[in-house]
Amino acid sequence: MFETRPSSVQHPTEHRFNPYEMNGGTIVGVAGEDFAVVASDTRLSEGYSILSRDNPHLYQVLPKTVMGSVGFHGDCITFNKTLQIRLRMYEYENNKKASTPAVAQLVSTMLYSRRFFPYYVNTIIAGLTNDGQGCVYSYDPVGSYEREVYRAGGSSAALIQPLLDSQLGQKNQGSFELNRSYTVKMSKEEVVALVKDIYTSATERDIYTGDAVFINVITKDGVVTEHFKLRRD
Amino acid sequence: MSGLIKEPEVGGFSFENCKRNEYLMTKGGFTVPKAIKTGTTIAGVIFKDGVVLGADTRATDGNIVAEKNCHKIHYIAPNIYCCGAGTAADTEYTTRMVASQLELHRLNSGRQVRVVSANRLLRQYLFRYQGHVSAALVLGGVDINGPYLGSIHPHGSSDRLPYVTMGSGSLAAMAVFEDRYKPDMSEEEAKELVADGIRAGIFNDLGSGSNVDLCVITKDRAEMIRPYHVANERGVKQGNYLYKRETTQVLKKFEKKVHYEVMSTNVKEIRPAAETMEIA
Amino acid sequence: MIATSDITIPDWIKEEHKTGTTIVAAEFNGGVIIAADSRTTTGAYVANRVTDKITPLADRIFCLRSGSAADTQAIADIVKYHLEFHEMETGSSPLVNTAAHLAKSIIYNNKERLLASVMVAGWDSYKGGQVYVVPISGMIVRKSIYISGSGSIYAMGYLDAFYKPNMEKNECLEIVKNAVAMAIARDGSSGGCIRFAVVTDKGVERNVILNTELPRFYEN
Repeated sequence: MFETRPSSVQHPTEHRFNPYEMNGGTIVGVAGEDFAVVASDTRLSEGYSILSRDNPHLYQVLPKTVMGSVGFHGDCITFNKTLQIRLRMYEYENNKKASTPAVAQLVSTMLYSRRFFPYYVNTIIAGLTNDGQGCVYSYDPVGSYEREVYRAGGSSAALIQPLLDSQLGQKNQGSFELNRSYTVKMSKEEVVALVKDIYTSATERDIYTGDAVFINVITKDGVVTEHFKLRRD
Repeated sequence: MSGLIKEPEVGGFSFENCKRNEYLMTKGGFTVPKAIKTGTTIAGVIFKDGVVLGADTRATDGNIVAEKNCHKIHYIAPNIYCCGAGTAADTEYTTRMVASQLELHRLNSGRQVRVVSANRLLRQYLFRYQGHVSAALVLGGVDINGPYLGSIHPHGSSDRLPYVTMGSGSLAAMAVFEDRYKPDMSEEEAKELVADGIRAGIFNDLGSGSNVDLCVITKDRAEMIRPYHVANERGVKQGNYLYKRETTQVLKKFEKKVHYEVMSTNVKEIRPAAETMEIA
Repeated sequence: MIATSDITIPDWIKEEHKTGTTIVAAEFNGGVIIAADSRTTTGAYVANRVTDKITPLADRIFCLRSGSAADTQAIADIVKYHLEFHEMETGSSPLVNTAAHLAKSIIYNNKERLLASVMVAGWDSYKGGQVYVVPISGMIVRKSIYISGSGSIYAMGYLDAFYKPNMEKNECLEIVKNAVAMAIARDGSSGGCIRFAVVTDKGVERNVILNTELPRFYEN
């Protein structure tokens, strides 16, 4: 039979496998004078669907070092696994556990090694420095990193970072002096309360953040985890 | 008349900037501004004496919640309402235009308008724009022929069914309806079923959220219940985020005397504001 | 560094509604039998499982729709409008041939814009039961039996084997129902129930076979 199809169906279409997926999630890290706080929500999503309401994006890589990692969940877990192996190798080779700054440098190296097929992850490392100060490091997907006082990452980063600048950085509030300190002056309790408020607010406006938040407080005594409920829509 | 300012056109869309925008997109490196989509859950059910329509209240702009309590159940006629999903502006204007046409039709005919008329106007309008007017609708009402419930898709096809769902949360809501719908339910049963369908969308579909709105239409009344259920309460804040007075630093001060003459005076009663606005 | 992809909205939300269909029309001794499945899909989602694809155009003329739901509904609306007008002007019932040619003209003249393949079937006092096939190209041809839509390939051979001209009503009805049931069983885009109608000089008998009561064949 002689059939003419409408022009709309005549174009050939290219189908290519996309190895990346954005699975949502938000992480926040704050460095205190003798503690560090790193928090994450527990929602894992894909498009308009929720894959899990109980999946914190935090990975304890050493007794006093926690990594927050969001982006493509497949890369997050692979990166975490590889990092843990490298840290075990470090321990065997050097006869000691890696310090948080050492972990921070290793993470950067590992990310950059995949420069042309990157891990699709936003990473924050939180822990304590060798002299017991809280420290937070943040990364882009290909390993550019910096030590910072506070940092938000993931789907709500653009909502949260300005709030952190205001509440922790005291930006645009009179003082023009550059804060040279690597830590905030607040107590653990104040930071935890602020983090909770940040998440309740971010959850209001970001569809990829919600369900609950896990807050890890790292001190010289180890990591204490707190759980806080968020809205689930 | 000024030759510089173009007279507004009478009705219809203006395609004046199409050529310019196409040029900007291909050669100028600009991207088209994105319209707000209501990633939505809307649904409806026919029960013993009428129709129940339901909707969530979230409007999204990409991954951001643009509005937490928006209206998605639109008025068409006193006996007809219509839920809209898709581009917020398209659903709003399409339903408003049809409401206006039907009001004129009522004035001309002196009769209560029928739901089939609303259905035909909507689908012919959407068909004309070949899916470019992205409005996915759930239309419900009661007229001389009894209750009517149906869906209209952006390309202009319509279906008449005893229970329907639409929008990004339609699968979640339909799962509830396929499980629990039965013919000739009571009003309360139907309201709870629709609310459960919408709640399924609110909690399981990221494009839907906040509250459940319902609209019950029977032979002699149409009732909007907004909100029917506040499915999500905002979390309680731990801290206080009011800035201290004089947080903003004063860099420079200057005074200037303004000379004026008193032209007239009058006395006014100052009433307290009817509603105080809250900042938080 | 890496551009995050836009929210991936599933295809079924944006895609046009299609009636990936099985539709059958057959002349028999006394009129025509028409039948269709009831599934409307948007991508992988069944948007309507009880669709009526047998759309009336006049008292004894029907249109069996396949292709885009929006396009075929619009065509049926327009043809119906013209036929009602024609009926008022001539004062007599329209011919099946007239209805079919109206549908053909719309489809042929708007070839590039439409995705519609229809069958027009019915009964008139001039030529009795008739079946006209109008595929997406806008061609028109009269057939004594035809099956079309995505599911047609699964039952075409069956109909070729068992259909004979001038069959008795019940015998013909049996093979038409079986054909649709076979297509529903094999074609993913066809499903739901079987809606069918018998159009004769005496009028129209419409009926439905529920999904739970479909004729069944070898399933292993």
